[in-house]
Amino acid sequence: MTNHVTHRSRTLQIVLVAALFAPAYVAGQSSHDANTKIANGSTKSASTSTKTWTMPRTSDGQPDLHGYWTSESFTPLERPAKYQGREFLTDDEAEAAQKAGLQRGYDRTYDDPVEEPVYDSTTFGLTPALEGFSPNKRTSLIVDPPDGRLPPRTPEALARPKAIGDRDYIEPDGHGGGIVHADTPRDIGMRTTCVSMSGGPPILPGAYNNGLYIMQSSNFVVFQAEYGSELRTIPLDGRPHASANIRQWHGDGRGHWEGDTLVVETTNFRPEATFRNANPKTLKITERFKRIAADQIEYSFTIDDPSTWTKPWTAIVPLHSIKGPLFEYACSESNMDVVNIMAGARATERAAEEKAKASGAPISQK
Amino acid sequence: MRLYFRNIVPGFAVAAVLVLSAGSPAAAQSSPAAAQNKIPTPGQFPAYKAPHTADGKPDFSGIWQAFVTADIDVQDHDAQAGPHPDFMGAYGAWPGGQGIVEGGEIPYKPEALAQKKANAEKRMVVNITSDPHRHDTGDPELKCYNPGVPRANYMPFPFQIIQGTDTILFSYEFARSVRTIYMNPNDKTIPKDAPADSWMGWSHGHFEGDTLVIDTTGFVPYTWFDRAGDYHSDALHVVERYTQVSPYHIMYEATIEDPNVFTRPWKVSFPLYRRMEKNIQLVDFNCTEFVLDLLYGQYSKRPGK
Repeated sequence: MTNHVTHRSRTLQIVLVAALFAPAYVAGQSSHDANTKIANGSTKSASTSTKTWTMPRTSDGQPDLHGYWTSESFTPLERPAKYQGREFLTDDEAEAAQKAGLQRGYDRTYDDPVEEPVYDSTTFGLTPALEGFSPNKRTSLIVDPPDGRLPPRTPEALARPKAIGDRDYIEPDGHGGGIVHADTPRDIGMRTTCVSMSGGPPILPGAYNNGLYIMQSSNFVVFQAEYGSELRTIPLDGRPHASANIRQWHGDGRGHWEGDTLVVETTNFRPEATFRNANPKTLKITERFKRIAADQIEYSFTIDDPSTWTKPWTAIVPLHSIKGPLFEYACSESNMDVVNIMAGARATERAAEEKAKASGAPISQK
Repeated sequence: MRLYFRNIVPGFAVAAVLVLSAGSPAAAQSSPAAAQNKIPTPGQFPAYKAPHTADGKPDFSGIWQAFVTADIDVQDHDAQAGPHPDFMGAYGAWPGGQGIVEGGEIPYKPEALAQKKANAEKRMVVNITSDPHRHDTGDPELKCYNPGVPRANYMPFPFQIIQGTDTILFSYEFARSVRTIYMNPNDKTIPKDAPADSWMGWSHGHFEGDTLVIDTTGFVPYTWFDRAGDYHSDALHVVERYTQVSPYHIMYEATIEDPNVFTRPWKVSFPLYRRMEKNIQLVDFNCTEFVLDLLYGQYSKRPGK
């Protein structure tokens, strides 16, 4: 994207922001072999420690998920065509994919034509990867269907208009969608306007700020996303879902334990904030959290929405332990982007008007 | 909670209550026996011992809400019409109420009192620039910004306390603000001092008996205490004390210190009420969506829209 940024002021800002807020590097490749060294030479004892590891428990006996985690990954959601028929990468492929993923982060930071990069991806996005985590050798996050690809959308879903600011919409080139013009703040999309940033469900890797804080009490589990500081507070006391008239920004989640696995079922989504433009009335997301090592949670989610996909689909996203704490993400309070994008759009319009006046040509009515 | 009901049954249970009261906070005033048969006296609670979590700490879990009008003015104030009575009518009117400030007055330095008055005059003047001057005027509540501390606790919205072992989370319905209270002084990954200034501050907590004490610093200088323009600087230091005085009430007290603005520390106090609706939960109040035109309308193609 950086090559596009050097021209046209309005487009510059819009494209820049769109790219920075892209939900995920889905074009990304893969992670890294479990027992080889990460880029900076550090290694993790993660997977190897599982032999002696015993499940930590809270004082009331629940498996202890408390702590700071990251969903960062270079593994794409869908399996690339070149890995068709293969669930896992070879060690060499994993190594290459890891390097490529890190390189993209450096490029985002240092090839930025702005004198001072707004986002330093080595700080904002890649720290956990640089510090090393036990990698994911899967060729795709999607594990079901077995081809690692999203199932076909239903005709109903294909005909559905895209919600403005759909935070999970991704352009084919990997950029975030939703920003086409900036006549009003609503044109800019709910992520850039800080209306809602992330936090799931589901939890997916994004370009940066993939941190996740999980805390537990006896009757609740809380997921706090680093990106936007948005919370999901999940009751574990068996209560029913809220009325269908209550539609929460992260849906209405209810949790229970199945053995040592925390299962969270979420419904009641908001139309403007429904994952991948699914049907907010029929979408059900079921997440499973199982701690499998001192520094890893196996996290999977199943997307079930018969009005949007022809069958349910499931992905596995490893959550790796990171050093805390997370900081407050006061988004709207310091949001300069909306002012800059909109003021830029108005300046571009004024310049066009003046140019048209000077040349005597009629002003175009867009 | 069930224990409490049993204990207030007249008769032998009185003895049990008296035993329970032995180690309870000083908030206990009237005798338990008297409390059973009389209309409660505001400001007085019968002796009470808070329930404890599995790890032995007083359990503050629940959804709580203040019912003071301090968000309008932390000091005593009359009802007022509010903004735009021409079309807001009674919807937009603000109730009067008694203040929460101990002694009634906030001990402002003279020049700071002038700033408070200027804030109040411009509480609805919103000019969002792409620099920190966006914070020069306008009540942060109006802009749906994080309300800061202690204001978040007396907004007219509920908040949920989720109590873990190493942290206690405060999840506020208004503007979905969050505070993480760090409770484990031995966790070396958690800095003692705020690593960066923030709207909701950097909080460490501990228990003194059954009172939860939270010490918060590291504030940005942009939050206000109320719509009346009461404010602070980035030197703000808030020490809060939460004491359960019944199954349904927390007595809340905060000491506010800021040598840049006040001549001495001052205190606020009020009760928090447990929300008792069956299956009560916070319902998102994501007001950022509601203020987009207020904040950015001046930059729209058709201004204000």
